[in-house]
Amino acid sequence: MSQKRLYELVYIVSPDATEQTITDLHTQVESIVTRLQGEMVRTENWGRRRLAYRIGKHREGTYVLEVFHGTGELTKELDRRLKVTDDVIRHLLIRVDEELKVAERSRAKRQAEAEKRIARGLPPLGQGRRRTSDDGGDDDRGDEPEVER
Amino acid sequence: MSDERRSGPGGGPKGRGGARGAAKGGPRRTMFRRRKVCKFCADKIDYIDYKDMKMLQPFIPERAKILPRRISGVCAMHQRKLQMAIKRARLLAMLPFVTD
Repeated sequence: MSQKRLYELVYIVSPDATEQTITDLHTQVESIVTRLQGEMVRTENWGRRRLAYRIGKHREGTYVLEVFHGTGELTKELDRRLKVTDDVIRHLLIRVDEELKVAERSRAKRQAEAEKRIARGLPPLGQGRRRTSDDGGDDDRGDEPEVER
Repeated sequence: MSDERRSGPGGGPKGRGGARGAAKGGPRRTMFRRRKVCKFCADKIDYIDYKDMKMLQPFIPERAKILPRRISGVCAMHQRKLQMAIKRARLLAMLPFVTD
């Protein structure tokens, strides 16, 4: 059994498409996800937006975001389906769990460090350290004549 | 000459390689060296989202190239994440690849 992972899918629907096709596409995606033992997390419709450059002959498009848990097979199937769908002019399907995990880890680490600082009775400031490193450079300049004296 | 001496004993063991290098170039040229701090470290941003245009916008100057680290002062880790986010945003036509 392959593992469940968190994925984010953004697709751009052609501006010629009606509201109906957009909802149809969404239900299609949802059905594929649930059929292949996936699980929808959330959906967002960003509405019509201007594209930064032309895709085909289009200058704008409707953005839809879908977040779901699923397997590798599921993404393969989704990718294939989106590629052959003419109303979808562009799509991006990426795995995000790993990156979010990394972000969460560094956040936890920073919090732990801040707590340690407070426990030690130091002011809870991360910037102090940075300033000292810069002062260190200045100090060096001041130190030099002292050595020679 | 004075530079050499400083980099010998002080530079290595203390670590903080980046800050050192900058400090070394600084006094010699006696320049207005502004201290650059990684925007993402300062704001404690761990995940740079490709969907967040407001976050990416300051790092894409008018030619739509990715702003180099030496100018923006972003740390290496965040520059890597930023680069990834910008490239994803480009693919989704939220940012241009080129502008002329």
